Amino acid sequence: MHVLLVEDEKSLHQEVKQFLQQAQYLVDSAYTFTEASEKLYVNSYDFVLLDLGLPGGDGLELLRESRRSEKQEASFIILTARGDLDDRIKGLDLGADDYLPKPFSLLELTSRMQAITRRKFGLKRSEIVFGDGFVMDVTARTVRHGAPDSPEVPLTKKEFDLLNYLLLHKGRVLTRLQLGEHLWGNVLEDDSDSNYIDVHIKNVRKKLAQFGSADFIETVRGIGYRAV
Amino acid sequence: MRLETKLGLFNGLSKLLLVVLGVLLIPPVVQRVAVVHTDERLQEKKQEVLNLIARDGLTTFLREEHDETYADYNILKQEYITITPLGPNNGSGATTERIFEEPRQVGKEVEDFRILSCEVPLGATKGDTATRRYRLEIGSSLGTVELLTDTLRSLALWVLVAGAALTVFTDAAFAHYSLRPLRELISRKLRGIRQPGEFSFERLHTDTTDFRRLDDSLSALMRQLQASFDKEREFMSNVSHELLTPTSILQSRFENMLQDPTLPEPHARQIVESQRTLYRLRNTVRTLLLIANIENDQYLRDASVSLRQTVADVAEELDDRRQQREISLHVDLSPDYVVPQANATLLHTLLRNLLSNALKYNHEGGQVRVLGRPRLEGGYQLRVEDDGPGIAPDNVPLLFDRFRRFHATGPKAPEGYGLGLPIAQTIAQFHKAELRAESELGKGTAFVVDFAA
Repeated sequence: MHVLLVEDEKSLHQEVKQFLQQAQYLVDSAYTFTEASEKLYVNSYDFVLLDLGLPGGDGLELLRESRRSEKQEASFIILTARGDLDDRIKGLDLGADDYLPKPFSLLELTSRMQAITRRKFGLKRSEIVFGDGFVMDVTARTVRHGAPDSPEVPLTKKEFDLLNYLLLHKGRVLTRLQLGEHLWGNVLEDDSDSNYIDVHIKNVRKKLAQFGSADFIETVRGIGYRAV
Repeated sequence: MRLETKLGLFNGLSKLLLVVLGVLLIPPVVQRVAVVHTDERLQEKKQEVLNLIARDGLTTFLREEHDETYADYNILKQEYITITPLGPNNGSGATTERIFEEPRQVGKEVEDFRILSCEVPLGATKGDTATRRYRLEIGSSLGTVELLTDTLRSLALWVLVAGAALTVFTDAAFAHYSLRPLRELISRKLRGIRQPGEFSFERLHTDTTDFRRLDDSLSALMRQLQASFDKEREFMSNVSHELLTPTSILQSRFENMLQDPTLPEPHARQIVESQRTLYRLRNTVRTLLLIANIENDQYLRDASVSLRQTVADVAEELDDRRQQREISLHVDLSPDYVVPQANATLLHTLLRNLLSNALKYNHEGGQVRVLGRPRLEGGYQLRVEDDGPGIAPDNVPLLFDRFRRFHATGPKAPEGYGLGLPIAQTIAQFHKAELRAESELGKGTAFVVDFAA
């Protein structure tokens, strides 16, 4: 996956780049409007991560330009600290695929990218196999153990989302905050909410254990949870 | 009471007083004047008669048929003169003169007369020395005076009543006209203003200096207020933006650090702790930014949003945590209320904050009630009630304070309501609604949103 990261804030740029590279993305950097414009003209990308407040021009103009050109088929995710609703509407109208207000979680960013990829390539049945024979159908939002005609694991919406997120970032430790932010989105809550995560994890484990082994969800002491 | 009404009332009452005074005072004064006038005339007549007697002698006046009494009446019987000889023994030397009122029979009618009576020594014929004393009476009928008084009284009454009525109306009309700028100032410029930005800076049409000044000072004050509001918001918004970027960097850096498989556990824990701290900072900044954006009218108000639907959405979203704490939810909105000119996202946030608080500060197995009723005075009232520990009365006003977290005391005291309520309040105000709290320690808390009609 080829990604163009357009972000003028150097430190943030480095952090995002590092994370994406670890996640096996090929990352190109642009720090200014002109730089980004040139790179977009020359190369073709799978993703453009676009900061709106750029030196030399409005990030939305880049989006507009790219949408006019035939050969650029990148999916755009807008990253902005402006947080204005107006920007959001404009961005999505112009054909941005998603929008993340700063500060955002890098995990959230990569899972949005995965979701866009799934959508883009029309993966009708996208399945994740995990544990000792569990199968998650991401499109139908079901989890089964074994054969497709076996009974569903009765997970609630949030429990499913939680499990899905852990599996998407398999092998990574996810903190309660990261999980909470994914579940409840960009809603302003104080951190007491992260206690709900423990209860959710407990319930997911209990429900999975009735069908197979739930040991693949590891508790990382003092930090959070990890799916292996 | 409105100024115009007050002026009108005062005007009417003062005119009424004037009429009453006029009706009471004018007749006695007129009567008095008439009497004085009559008295003067009687004196003149007396002098005239005496002069005539001195010139022509008494005999020309005396007619023998009536016991030497001379009497003369004019044809309308309004005045008369009598000269009666007095006995020699009741002469007293001095000329006594009296003026009094007495009924006298003239012809066949008895009438009130004003009478001048005096004793004078008169000679019988011309050139005679005064030998005998006579009583001279000159009377003038009071009938004319009374008639005059009555006429004047009713005339005064009518003139005063008509004048008063006329001036009451013209005064009211003038007050109405000259107070129009004030009315306009209140109804057009001040009524329904929630923030200085809504004030109309269009100049008032008036040539009254006072109103001109009032309008100008109000406008100046509003401009000043607006400017400082703008500055505050701009500041909040700038600061928030400036804070979000470094927060962003730190958040990403922590995430990257946590991905390092060689990271020792104590360090990892510290990073998680730092992440929590950063999360709190981030939420505060986002809250301030959200509030600033709402107050800066960055949000559209172009949807009609059903409260029932929004409550259902929020309830579904919070279903998991509600069930985790075994709290039952009772929703009764009868009828539903569709908020006009609303922002669906913000209303969702408002209800989410209220419901989430009601769950958070409830005891396990408690109940949360969402009740909606039309208000008697129009509009709609939405209540979100919980069975929680309640809030001490002293703390209730602090709930909505943006920069203040209070700490409740008592068993299982909630840690504080955080910034959710100031957000909720800002959103309520954005929708021309009012958010308040009713709470009783040990019983629970109700958050009430009153939507204006």
